[in-house]
Amino acid sequence: MGRTHECDDACKIVSVPQIATIEEIKDEIVDVKTFYLNIDDKDIASKFNIKSGQFIMCTVFGAGEFAVSLPPSPENDRFHISVRQVGKVTRALHKLQVGDKVGIRGPFGNGFPFEEIKGKNVIYVAGGIGLIPLRSSIVHVLQHRNEFGRIILIYGARTPKDLMYQYNIDEWLKIEGFETYITIDNPVPGWTGETGFVHNLIPKAKIPVENTVAFVCGPPVMFNSVIKVLMDQGLSDDCIISTLERHMKCGIGKCQHCAIGRTLVCTDGPVYTYRQIKTLGEQI
Amino acid sequence: MYRIKKSDIVNIAQELSKEYGIFGPYIDRDAGQVMFDRLDDLSQIDLDAPIPAIPPKHVIYPHSECILKYSYDPTAKKAAIERIHSEKPKALFGLRSCDLEGIRVLDRFFLGQEFVDEFYLANRKKVFIVSNTCVKPFAQCFCACTDSGPSAKEGFDLNLTELGDEYLIEAGSEKGKAFAEKIGLAKAGDEYKDKKKKAIDISLDLFTDFAVENKAWVSRVTNRVTTGFIKEEIWEYIGNQCFECGACTFVCPTCSCFNIEDVNIGSGATERIRSWDSCSYEGYSKMAGDHNPRKPVEDRRNKRFFCKLSYSQSKKYLRPGCVGCGRCAWVCPGDIGLPNVVTYIRREITK
Amino acid sequence: MTYKPGICTFCGNGCGHFLKIVDGRPAGVFPSRNHPVSRGRLCVRGWNIHELLSTPQRLTDAMLRKNGGLIKVSYDEAIAQVVEKLKKFASDSPDALAILASPRSSNEEHYLLMKFARAVLKTNNIGLDSESGHRASLEVLNAGTGFAGMLGSAGAIAGADFLFVLDFDITKQNPILGSELHMARRAGAFMVTLDSRTTQIAKLSDVFMMAKSGSNKVVIAALAKILIDEGLADSAYIQKYTTGFEGFANLLGSLSYDDINTKTGISIEVLKEIARKLVSSRRAMAFYPSGISGLDVETIGFLFNLFLLAGKIGINGSGINPVTGLNNLQGGYDMGVAPDVLPGFQLLEDPKAHAAFAKAWGADIPTKKGRMPYELLSEKSSKLKALVVIDHDEGIVRYADRLKELEYIVYIGAFENPFTEFAHAVLPIASYIESEGTYTNTERRIQLSAKKADPPSGILPGWRLVCELAKKAGASWNYASPADVMNEIAAVTPPYSQVSYEKLRKSFGIQWPCDTQNPNGTEYFSADTSTKKLSFYPVKADYSIPTVSTEFPYQLMIGKAQHFWHQNNLMRLTKIPLREYNTTLLLFPEGYVEISPDDAKSLGVREKWPVMVKSHAGEMKAAVKISGEVRSGTAYIPYFIQETISKFLLEHREVLARGEDATIPVKIEKV
Repeated sequence: MGRTHECDDACKIVSVPQIATIEEIKDEIVDVKTFYLNIDDKDIASKFNIKSGQFIMCTVFGAGEFAVSLPPSPENDRFHISVRQVGKVTRALHKLQVGDKVGIRGPFGNGFPFEEIKGKNVIYVAGGIGLIPLRSSIVHVLQHRNEFGRIILIYGARTPKDLMYQYNIDEWLKIEGFETYITIDNPVPGWTGETGFVHNLIPKAKIPVENTVAFVCGPPVMFNSVIKVLMDQGLSDDCIISTLERHMKCGIGKCQHCAIGRTLVCTDGPVYTYRQIKTLGEQI
Repeated sequence: MYRIKKSDIVNIAQELSKEYGIFGPYIDRDAGQVMFDRLDDLSQIDLDAPIPAIPPKHVIYPHSECILKYSYDPTAKKAAIERIHSEKPKALFGLRSCDLEGIRVLDRFFLGQEFVDEFYLANRKKVFIVSNTCVKPFAQCFCACTDSGPSAKEGFDLNLTELGDEYLIEAGSEKGKAFAEKIGLAKAGDEYKDKKKKAIDISLDLFTDFAVENKAWVSRVTNRVTTGFIKEEIWEYIGNQCFECGACTFVCPTCSCFNIEDVNIGSGATERIRSWDSCSYEGYSKMAGDHNPRKPVEDRRNKRFFCKLSYSQSKKYLRPGCVGCGRCAWVCPGDIGLPNVVTYIRREITK
Repeated sequence: MTYKPGICTFCGNGCGHFLKIVDGRPAGVFPSRNHPVSRGRLCVRGWNIHELLSTPQRLTDAMLRKNGGLIKVSYDEAIAQVVEKLKKFASDSPDALAILASPRSSNEEHYLLMKFARAVLKTNNIGLDSESGHRASLEVLNAGTGFAGMLGSAGAIAGADFLFVLDFDITKQNPILGSELHMARRAGAFMVTLDSRTTQIAKLSDVFMMAKSGSNKVVIAALAKILIDEGLADSAYIQKYTTGFEGFANLLGSLSYDDINTKTGISIEVLKEIARKLVSSRRAMAFYPSGISGLDVETIGFLFNLFLLAGKIGINGSGINPVTGLNNLQGGYDMGVAPDVLPGFQLLEDPKAHAAFAKAWGADIPTKKGRMPYELLSEKSSKLKALVVIDHDEGIVRYADRLKELEYIVYIGAFENPFTEFAHAVLPIASYIESEGTYTNTERRIQLSAKKADPPSGILPGWRLVCELAKKAGASWNYASPADVMNEIAAVTPPYSQVSYEKLRKSFGIQWPCDTQNPNGTEYFSADTSTKKLSFYPVKADYSIPTVSTEFPYQLMIGKAQHFWHQNNLMRLTKIPLREYNTTLLLFPEGYVEISPDDAKSLGVREKWPVMVKSHAGEMKAAVKISGEVRSGTAYIPYFIQETISKFLLEHREVLARGEDATIPVKIEKV
């Protein structure tokens, strides 16, 4: 039999949510807020360890539960989630205030394969709020700067107001060897940077191909065009890594809502290589 | 091996009822339909009745159940969560072998894999299973080609086989054996093995040509489904006939998809209700926001048959996802029950 | 045994099911295989009906509006105020009070409410909350055959060899009947669909006539013309069974073949093939939606006449079949819930019928026919002051401004409902499964639904509540049970004359007429046993179709069906059906307008881009949905409660009255 404990050694909260307190709320971009959370039960909180690339199921009391990726790096970030209000449950979350309680299950999912990419150049390509699930990985890689080659972030959003984590990007830029290319879809007054879609920026970044992995996350249209450009540049499909998003109800591989091909995003994913994605036989 | 006079079989249910709630097949008086449900009056159990319209999976995996209750007081910032579960002892009496296989698939799925589904486990924990050999198949049956009948091979505590005016009773577990000994069932000699084999052979002979002939086809079609060598037009042809009602999922002994919703019941209290869901529904895979990776209906049909008939899925279940009960053909408004789908794909292969 | 047999109460099909009751609460459902209509099938709504029936969003207290808010009061207090007010408004002026009944109430509730209106409050202003569609069908069928209901049966579809589906997304609206058609087609029947938009049933048909929008009537008239011109009409049948042939034949003279082609976009050859198939079939059945989405009287009249020409009314189970969208719409009309008819579709203004009811009830009833509540609401000059609403659906919210001006509104219902915002008094009642009652499905099948759960504490079933209202108003009503009410219904309603609870308990329902000639009911209308000749319906020779102008180049179709599911307010209380219902709408939260890929190209718009849709009378914003399911030059909007669309459509009330096939000329502009 598989895991049953509410909170075993690796501490996964499987079935019954643990109550957590919202310690701080930060407004990010329009419709996106970051919530800093603390699990109330001290014992469980101390054993609650996440891996970069995982997700949790978050209950907003009275509204429901939703799956959300984890932007913090496991090492020295405070635990938090960044959520766009888009459905009934996330809208209810946005109405909560500091001190309010939520429920947490998890962490679930496979996480990013850091061991396998040691020593390589790492490229991040994100569109809009697609930067949220990649943040954890960026922070981790920057924390272990010397274990990796070039680190490049190529990021695009609709307008300057839709760029996530700008303050983080500014911080990261102070770290040596971190390169950033940012674009917005259409020119607006006051914007002096690049314009156009994010995939058009990839050739400009003159990315390395040998010994390189790319993390891609964003809306499906952006994803498909980015993949095409990366492949044209010569990156192979097993060096392109993405984290997928699906409708989820249970997070533990039972409800099957997140089935994609023969895999389940909640337990087999959410991190997949593009080589894997291609064989799943479904739309992204 | 034990035996009992046919007319005394209800005594076994009687004995079980001292410890377990009895669930068995009966014919509903008003609607004339065979159902499988909780029975207080054990004389209503009808072991000769055709396979019940409703798969007994609902006993351990209910159509809808409350799994959690919680309350939240936003002023006091106080939350309380209570897990709802019941481990009431249940005896499934007179389960057909296809339905037993269905439960075994659900067991592997809910209790195996990386995580255990604790809500399923609670319902499943104290279950005594008495299966019943089909000494003759029913019109829609094709368990002979999905390796799930007409007689259960394992997974039961006791298995009944009607032999003339007697039932042969085999114990399939320590629990079953102990129970049989406790109530002092008469022993059956080795000759009963032959008798049972003969009864099964007769039963197998009675399967319609379609059900027998399809055996090879189920595996060939499984091969095609797994490798994806089925033309888009076939899925489209099938998809056009899908009414998106979800019936095939709900009557399938192995289908396990569920939905979870939090329902506010007043005074700050909420129930987390989990209920059967279906991959044929358009909203099933739709994400908050606006993206639905599985929009066209043929994509969703394709997904369901992939789940029933593919090697990768069979690996999870340790058998094909279809147990040959034929119920999906009964309830489908579009005439695309699994046997028909096999036929359509078969037609394409032979073309 | 937690699964109890019963009937599904969503749409007009009346499918058979088992409802699982755990601790007095619905917790699951399963189809009934022996049920003659559904035979083991349910649709997405039916498979999740327990979600509706177990919703905690119930009305559990009587309430009166005091100082602006609704305050919980005792039933007695509320009933006393309601009766006092209603009596006052009823005596005020003939148009001061109207009663909007629900097509979801049971026959017993309908009957008592109707009797309460007429015998106690002395008003005939009572009507069903489903606008005019089904009434148009009953009008034509009653005039033509004396049979005010579906001529055929669900069970007869399997035996049909010609099936005609008109303007009907039947696999979404009435899926199980749609399934029956699909199965018959697979068994060899020839199926034709006529629609302006591609539907699932269109894809499953032998021939899909994608007519230009607004031209359905012309297509049907063209088929009739071809029957006559090609000598295909069944003259022996016409002579033996019908009257009025010449009049109809003459009126087709003004329709020219050139016109047919340009107006409908359907080739004459296709029409000829269909005409030949129709006359050479043994059993031909036509199906069209009836109720909120329905056809207008003229189109139904042409359809009826076409089938008479072909000799396909009342022969071998052939005929035309209006399909009701709501579970007891047919029963509502059967029970005389209309301003001008009494139970059994007896005309109020017929002195004999009027006298019979006055005598049976021992009360005076007003002789002048009443007004439809909707008419009184929409007519700005009407003297309407008070309204009683039962279990309302969405339509009425269109009149929000008028509702706010009314002096007194009573709401009676089982579930929480946004309409209570308008109400001055709220009276809760039991839900479908908390009381016994009968429902008459689209094929005239009267079915008994047993009580399966207790209502919330202290809540009365609808029939009892109406009795209490009547008693408070001074009537000496004394019904012991719904069965008792049915006995009275049987005594005054000829097609129900032999119906009793005893009989209903032993069956899966009885199809009326159930009288001394047909004590076990009647499967289909038979021309042979008809007491009068079948008459061609007096249609008008108006073959005009809506035209577009250079200013308004698009024909806008209003889909009342696809996303309406007939059940907005009920769907809101479910989870899975709501999710399914919302799937498209969530994708297009501001509503959408569906246009063809070519039109999208010429407008320079892409999927989901916002556009303005403008007519001569109003405008609304919507997102573009590009689809091959509409012709170029046409646009389609779903009709659901969404402010802009409702406000836009309110300016086009005349178009809505013309039925499902009506269109509005519009222009579409990129924003």
